[in-house]
Amino acid sequence: MKSPAFSYYQAKDLADAINVKKTDDDAVILAGGQSLLPTLNMRLSNPSVLIDIGNISELKEIKVDDSNLIMGAMCSHSQIMNNKEVNEKLPILNKILSQVAHPAVRNKGTHGGSIAYGDPAAELPAFAVLVNAEIILSGSDGERIVSAKEFYKGLFETAINSDEILTSVKYPINRNGMKLFFDEVTRRHGDYAMAGLVGSIKQNNKINEEINLVFFGTGDRPNEAPKTCEYLLKNEYNYSDIKNTLKNDIDFASDISSSSDMKAHLSAILVGRMMKELN
Amino acid sequence: MSNLNKTTISMIINNENYDDITVETRQHLGDFLRDLGFKGTHLGCEQGACGACNVLVDGESVRSCLMLAVQANGKKITTVEGLNSSEMEIVKDCFVKNNAMQCGFCSSGMLMTTYEIVKSNRKYSREEIREMISGNYCRCTGYQAIVDAVEDSLNKINVGV
Amino acid sequence: MDDLNQNPKLGAADRPNSYIGRSVPRERAKKLLEGKGKYVDDILLPRMAHLSYVRSPFAHAKIKSINIENAKKYPGVLNVFTIDDIEKVCTPWQGVLGHLGEMRSPTQYPLAKDIVRWQGEPVAVVVANKRAVAEDASELVEIDYEDLDAQLDMETAMDKSTKVIHDDLENNLFWTRTVNQGNVSEAFKQSHIVEEVTLDFARHTGVTLETRAIVADWDSSEEKMTVYHNGQAPHMMQSIIAKHLNLSEGLVRIISCDVGGSFGIKVHVYPDEMVTVAVSKLLKRPVKFVADRLESYSTDIHSRCHKILGKIGVDDKGKILAFEIDDLSGIGPFSVYPRTSAIETNQVLNLSAASYVVPNYKAKGTVVFQNKTPMCQYRAVGHPIAVAITEALVDKAANALDMDRYEFRKINLIPDNSYPTKTPSGVPLEDLSHEACIEKLKKMMNISELEKYKKESLANGKYKGFSIINMVEVTNPSPAFYGVGGAPISSQDGASIRLEGSGAVHISTSITEQGQGTEAVMQQIAADQLGVKIDTVRVTHGDTDATPYGGGTWASRGAGIGGEAVLKASRKLKENILNIAAVIMQSEVNNLDVQNDQVIRKDGGEVISLKDLAQIVYYRGHELPPGTNAELIATASFSIEGIPFVFTNSAMGCLVDVDVDTGLTKIEKFWAVEDCGTQINPKLVEEQIRGGVVQGIGGALYEECIYDEMGNLTNGNMADYLVPMAYEMPDIIVDHVTTNSGRSILGAKGAGEAGTGGAPGAIMNAINDALIPLNTQVTSQPITPEKVLKALGKI
Ligand SMILES: Cc1cc2nc3c(=O)[nH]c(=O)nc-3n(C[C@H](O)[C@H](O)[C@H](O)COP(=O)(O)OP(=O)(O)OC[C@H]3O[C@@H](n4cnc5c(N)ncnc54)[C@H](O)[C@@H]3O)c2cc1C
Ligand code: FES
Ligand code: FES
Repeated sequence: MKSPAFSYYQAKDLADAINVKKTDDDAVILAGGQSLLPTLNMRLSNPSVLIDIGNISELKEIKVDDSNLIMGAMCSHSQIMNNKEVNEKLPILNKILSQVAHPAVRNKGTHGGSIAYGDPAAELPAFAVLVNAEIILSGSDGERIVSAKEFYKGLFETAINSDEILTSVKYPINRNGMKLFFDEVTRRHGDYAMAGLVGSIKQNNKINEEINLVFFGTGDRPNEAPKTCEYLLKNEYNYSDIKNTLKNDIDFASDISSSSDMKAHLSAILVGRMMKELN
Repeated sequence: MSNLNKTTISMIINNENYDDITVETRQHLGDFLRDLGFKGTHLGCEQGACGACNVLVDGESVRSCLMLAVQANGKKITTVEGLNSSEMEIVKDCFVKNNAMQCGFCSSGMLMTTYEIVKSNRKYSREEIREMISGNYCRCTGYQAIVDAVEDSLNKINVGV
Repeated sequence: MDDLNQNPKLGAADRPNSYIGRSVPRERAKKLLEGKGKYVDDILLPRMAHLSYVRSPFAHAKIKSINIENAKKYPGVLNVFTIDDIEKVCTPWQGVLGHLGEMRSPTQYPLAKDIVRWQGEPVAVVVANKRAVAEDASELVEIDYEDLDAQLDMETAMDKSTKVIHDDLENNLFWTRTVNQGNVSEAFKQSHIVEEVTLDFARHTGVTLETRAIVADWDSSEEKMTVYHNGQAPHMMQSIIAKHLNLSEGLVRIISCDVGGSFGIKVHVYPDEMVTVAVSKLLKRPVKFVADRLESYSTDIHSRCHKILGKIGVDDKGKILAFEIDDLSGIGPFSVYPRTSAIETNQVLNLSAASYVVPNYKAKGTVVFQNKTPMCQYRAVGHPIAVAITEALVDKAANALDMDRYEFRKINLIPDNSYPTKTPSGVPLEDLSHEACIEKLKKMMNISELEKYKKESLANGKYKGFSIINMVEVTNPSPAFYGVGGAPISSQDGASIRLEGSGAVHISTSITEQGQGTEAVMQQIAADQLGVKIDTVRVTHGDTDATPYGGGTWASRGAGIGGEAVLKASRKLKENILNIAAVIMQSEVNNLDVQNDQVIRKDGGEVISLKDLAQIVYYRGHELPPGTNAELIATASFSIEGIPFVFTNSAMGCLVDVDVDTGLTKIEKFWAVEDCGTQINPKLVEEQIRGGVVQGIGGALYEECIYDEMGNLTNGNMADYLVPMAYEMPDIIVDHVTTNSGRSILGAKGAGEAGTGGAPGAIMNAINDALIPLNTQVTSQPITPEKVLKALGKI
């Protein structure tokens, strides 16, 4: 199928993009296009204009300081995978991104696009929630920061206002003793997961002090699991208990890849893998 | 311009300048290239899943069905018709020798991915080759001949040594 | 790998120009790699218009009204047609054949008339200057539907309370057949053990990477219809288009150049393609229709969709006494024209238990209508079902007797020295080699090592299983397949071969090229049999104006039938050449031969090049004595006579790992031993087999057209309909046993479908072998992780 007609605007800079966005409710930001163009090609959406933010150079920067890694919205998945500093400071990102789609898609797909699109089965939104990254939004009223935990509101729904653009994502790094985990279950390499988990454990003298779990592919957004984390702080891993607790935490939702039962089961399995790997 | 749904673009395709071409903004790069006569770029799904449409944009493989022609304005495009470096000639020879295609509909996309593999200039295990080409659908071969061909190419080009 | 021909009828394998049996690189491969393939969508004609179809969003609904006015006014639109217009130039059809008992399928119109019967059925067509514009305007066609109950489930199709899809039929039955050999019920009574299993096979589809495409170009001055079509059977299309558009058949030209995969998907008559031809006639200009990927999922024929109950009875020594199956299949609302949708079930009945000696055999097949995409023949028609049910029962019986699965097979396989014989269902078999294949397979797989590996893995909590299966494959069909039933499908193929003034040799063949290497194979046969260098030979195919008449490429028939025609034509041409050379060289014909593009004297001495010979004939004919028969062109044809099909056989095995936590199956290894007779180009054969296996793996593990309760196809796109990709696929080890077909000089059988037919059974058995320690089994394909976990009671 071919896209419906729309016009195209190449934004010169951020202010320009915001300006156009503000004046047209049906305008849509075009980042890497790897999620947007399939929906257009299938005529699932009908925007008036695509605002291409691909030429705004400030959105392509990766900045690193002692405690943060700041990823410009327009950094492609490949750019991030090939960045030495990222690979040193936050090596798990490389591991995560190598499971996102395939080389040609990663060459175009952007970090900001993935976070902003908020596909519930996508890896990056879950990771952002896990480390409670700061999501930086620019709009006509200036810049604001939304924590990742507050960012995802529902199925493909985020805190981005209609006149706002996601400009960067700020990840905390060098967090003492925090060990990170990522795994997912897919039927084919590079597919969206049937269920996936990013998790972290902070230990003191081999005692777990803090556990965080965020699941993807399981519900309408990245799913945190506070009750399960609490359970794990007090108890050894036990498949049935974890599965039951997870069901209290998460409203598992079936999709074309798997049923809600399957997702609950896989989530419990992934927690088991994490406890084994990180302990 | 009078029609907002059209725009005029220029780009370099296979080292030739294509200037001031008016396109519909909705047209994806794959259709644009095919309209210009670069029929070696194939469309298998137009949703990013099959990889048949892969071309190089500024030396990186991309899905030409998931990029608008206007986004390629000012860029350097390589289609299969222009994949003529000495390395890629070796790759093509290895594809022929290993019978790494049947109908050939996936081949140009496979070659673009192989270009990425060769470009990275390191060694690959068969499993890693399979991982790299896992975004390129081939319905005819059992993939094995393609893996053989890529492996053979890397040996012949002597990458990563 | 045997790299040489083992067929003495072809001449010594080590002579010059012996190409048969060698992995000569395909010339066309280079062309395809340069992006120079010519596919239908590459065709540009002056004034060509583009079509977009308005398709039914409902599985079953009455069309109350269609309003095309707004669409017609959309800028760039040339016209919009409904059945009222199309009917005037294109007659409807009926997917029935006369030779397989009563088939009850109603008339099918090229566009829906009054009622739509599947989601995706074409209702109207928009013609515009561009495809995107045609799609824009399609959204403006207003159709008012009244929803009708959809009949979706094949199992309830025949219930009294179920909606009957066609008013003029009393129920939803399309076709049924029974086979009864011996006395099954008596044999079950006498059996030491009786095992039963019911298997399910989901609907899946072909997913050719190039979608269906057609360009029709009506030239009203000549009354000539030229159709560029990515099909498999140009002459069949010629006949059908002529018939339904009321054209003179000789003035319909079908051109099929490169085809981006077909697998049986592109050998049927599709309403949207017929309408495209009709639109060209109505508008008197070329028009193009290329199915997009969403259209191809909902309108390319689907296949499989079977539920089969099987039962085996075995004596205490492990000898099979009886075998019974009862198969149910759902085919969508119409039987597909002209091959019908009965053939898959017919093959299940013919082929179940076909590798084994089974004295008592009973089979029943029932085929019913559904409001889903029409179903028809796709690669390995019926084989995956027949092989999986047979091999599942064989494993079950062996396990119940605590017998080794290989030993059990060995005592039941049809012995290699017993041909000709018949399948348990009564179909003639000849020239097969089950015993040799399974022997070879056993060695390749190293079964004792595998048993050890399985045990050790189990001790580490890993579940591995392996399988060995046997099968036959239907190839090279005779007229008994379709022609006898009234379909315009040729079982004969032709070849014409000529020596040109330049010394080049040109073949034209009625076989088409879908990537299997038709061109290369024909070149090899001709060069081999003539004694010329391979690059001397050119091939024309896929053009009804330029090639001999014939059936085309399907049912693994190209090399076996079309190749034999080329062989015979080449031999005739060589005879002519030698006769002429004998005159020119003043030698006995017996003392001459052709080698390396020259006529040589066997006893040495002066030679003459084919070029010189040809130039004498063409330019200086006066140098030849008057009356010399100087024909440098020869034609021949071939078809299989006396038997319905040439069967091939193979043995396959695989090793899987079943992750009992995630339900994921990993295929660690796959082995196949194939006997396809003479292999013309082993490399081509091997990748055919591997490609076939991978498609079989698709059916076994991934592929499924998922419908919701309203009859909507919910995963009809490439992201959600899973096909095998490179990462998950194993290396596939292929070897051969060679038993030439006695039906031809060439001795080649087919090799295109065995992998697809055998892999599903091999994988299911291997998974079930892995699950034995857990006391469970899977019986439904695709074997998704979810089904595995359900079998394990985990979800
Ligand atoms: C075959 C295939 C497989 C894939 N597999 C995976 C996978 O396994 N995991 C995964 O996570 N992803 C996967 N993706 C998606 C890929 O990662 C996308 O690149 C990503 O989700 C979106 O990034 P983008 O830059 O392409 O965004 P676009 O497609 O350009 O935009 C997506 C949406 O986000 C909005 N948007 C984008 N950027 C901004 C911004 N800066 N501010 C405000 N709004 C913005 C757009 O308006 C649009 O609505 C896959 C894609 C394909 C084609
Ligand atoms: S056509 Fe672009 S990925 Fe399939
Ligand atoms: S060769 Fe046909 S799809 Fe790959």
